Amino acid sequence: MKRNLVTIIIAAVLLIIFALLLFTFQVRQSEVAVVTTFGRISGPPCEPGLHLRWPWPIQQVYKFDQRIQDFQDTFGENYTADSITLMTSVYVGWKISDPAAFLNSFREGSIAAAQSQLQSILTSAKAAMVGSNTLSAFVNADQSQLKFDKIQGDIEQFVQSELRTNNYGIQIEFLGIKQLGLPASVTQTVFDRMKAEREVLISHALNEGQAEANKIRAKADSQAKITLADAQAEATRIEGVGVNEAATTLRTFEENPDLAVFMLRLRALQDSLNQKSIVIFDQRTPPFDLFQSISTNAWGQSP
Amino acid sequence: MSDEHEHPHEHEPPPAPTRPVTPDDAGSQALAEALRSSFTIVKFVMAALVVVFLASGLFQVGPQEKAVILRFGKPVGHEQEALLGPGLHWSFPYPIDEVVRIPITEIQKVSSTIGWYYLTPEQEAAGITPSPGVSLVPGKDGYVITADRNIIHTRATLFYQVDQPIHYMFDFVSASNTVQNDLNNALLYTAAHFKVDDILYYDVEGFRDAVRQRVSSLVDKQRLGITVKDCTVDRTAPLQLKDIFDQVTEARQNQIKALDDAHSEENRLTNSADWQAASIINVAQSASTNYVQFVQADANVFSGLLTNYLVNPSLFKQQQLVQMMGRALTNANFKAYLPTTANGEPTELRLMLNREPPGPGSASPAP
Repeated sequence: MKRNLVTIIIAAVLLIIFALLLFTFQVRQSEVAVVTTFGRISGPPCEPGLHLRWPWPIQQVYKFDQRIQDFQDTFGENYTADSITLMTSVYVGWKISDPAAFLNSFREGSIAAAQSQLQSILTSAKAAMVGSNTLSAFVNADQSQLKFDKIQGDIEQFVQSELRTNNYGIQIEFLGIKQLGLPASVTQTVFDRMKAEREVLISHALNEGQAEANKIRAKADSQAKITLADAQAEATRIEGVGVNEAATTLRTFEENPDLAVFMLRLRALQDSLNQKSIVIFDQRTPPFDLFQSISTNAWGQSP
Repeated sequence: MSDEHEHPHEHEPPPAPTRPVTPDDAGSQALAEALRSSFTIVKFVMAALVVVFLASGLFQVGPQEKAVILRFGKPVGHEQEALLGPGLHWSFPYPIDEVVRIPITEIQKVSSTIGWYYLTPEQEAAGITPSPGVSLVPGKDGYVITADRNIIHTRATLFYQVDQPIHYMFDFVSASNTVQNDLNNALLYTAAHFKVDDILYYDVEGFRDAVRQRVSSLVDKQRLGITVKDCTVDRTAPLQLKDIFDQVTEARQNQIKALDDAHSEENRLTNSADWQAASIINVAQSASTNYVQFVQADANVFSGLLTNYLVNPSLFKQQQLVQMMGRALTNANFKAYLPTTANGEPTELRLMLNREPPGPGSASPAP
């Protein structure tokens, strides 16, 4: 009896496991599931968790990744409004917004088929948006002229509209331009233009540098002369102040102008004979007038 | 008596009909024994399997990761509560529970893929710059178009940290690819705003910051659940134009040097003028002061001598004159005395004055 109980328990466990595998299914956190009954979609999409089902062939479960998918379209050429061939590539973050519609739109809910459809819509969207903008709307130092974000938004809006109209069950979460380019032959032309611009820059750098340097030197020279002239004027002014100040003491000399003049002359004479002077005098010059009473023809020279 | 009667019933089986022991009975007994042993082993193995099954639910979360338990596919807990930190944890084994590990604390990095010239893996590893072709091949050579419609190469590397692992792991099929595409977009968008010389020379930091700001804005808008930690940007002129760009750089360096030289000369001239001006003013001030003091001193002397002068002006003058002549003649280099002629007239003296002969360093006079 004891052995039978164990056997029954084991059998029951195995039966439960088998039944669970047969009648339940799990939907992972990042997934959403659609259940079909005899091939027709039945009930709303299943959210993450454990769900019941009838076994095949009554019901069939289709699981879809509900996360945001990455898609990058091909690097294709289009003409801008100013007739420039511009190559663009965009990246798209898209997700399955309506699993039932997605399953109906694409065989077996194929992601590859959905991305192929997305590529087709993006090609049309890019052709329309590139064609209605000039190159300066894509690249421009002037913020008011640059429409980079607006063009991205227009492409996204175009794609969203197409997806909604056709009820593909897909929703765009974000879209951005991934790459801009020019055809190979155009890049060579751009290089030629860039080279010419660089040569102009070289010429400017050399000439402007020398001219600017000369200007700086001339200005400095002029400034130096002005500084010296100002200093000279200031010196004259200072000397004038000194003379004026000294003039206040002239009243002292007015007490006896004769003595004052004598002193000035005496000082002038002393200053002029102070050093390295040659003095030639005769008997009339004091104190040598003393020689008048002495007969002599001697020459005197300092040692 | 009753005890004695019952005892044999409890411990001794009722006497079985005596039957001779045959080889088949022995075999049956051995088989039964073997089955009993096998059943015991099976029970032990099953118990062990149950233990192993339960123990297989133990798992460890490392210091640089978080984990989320999915029970029948659904996270256990809501948002941040679902995140398990470092340590030992237990979950039901698969298929009931599933443990998803998410790297979180380590800095992750992605590099842009659109802006750099084509490099083979060998060239990239060896740091070799390839020979440039005549033009750039679309889809192979990467580049960006600048605001002034020039072409340059640039690439960026973004360092980021996952701070909302549930968004990062469960909302995106490949979040790192999305980050990479955002980085490409940021590089393209920023280059479209900047002129080539700003990107290459004048506003390198501004360009880098703008790229980082654009990426941060995009990942926030998309709720990727990451925080940008750093962003580095390389940039270079097209290889086809490297020489001419180098020449521009050289010319600009020469321009800067010429300006530096000019500014140096300007400083020298200005400083010299300032110094000379200060000297002139100092000399003037000194002369002015000296003059005033000199006149004042003369006035003092004058006042001191006036009394004596008034006593006998003529004698005073003679005295002063003779004293001065004595002092002056003492210092004179050459003194000549001309006696009067016999008729009392002064002797005539004629001097021929030549210019001072040239020194040894001066130029020789013309013949």
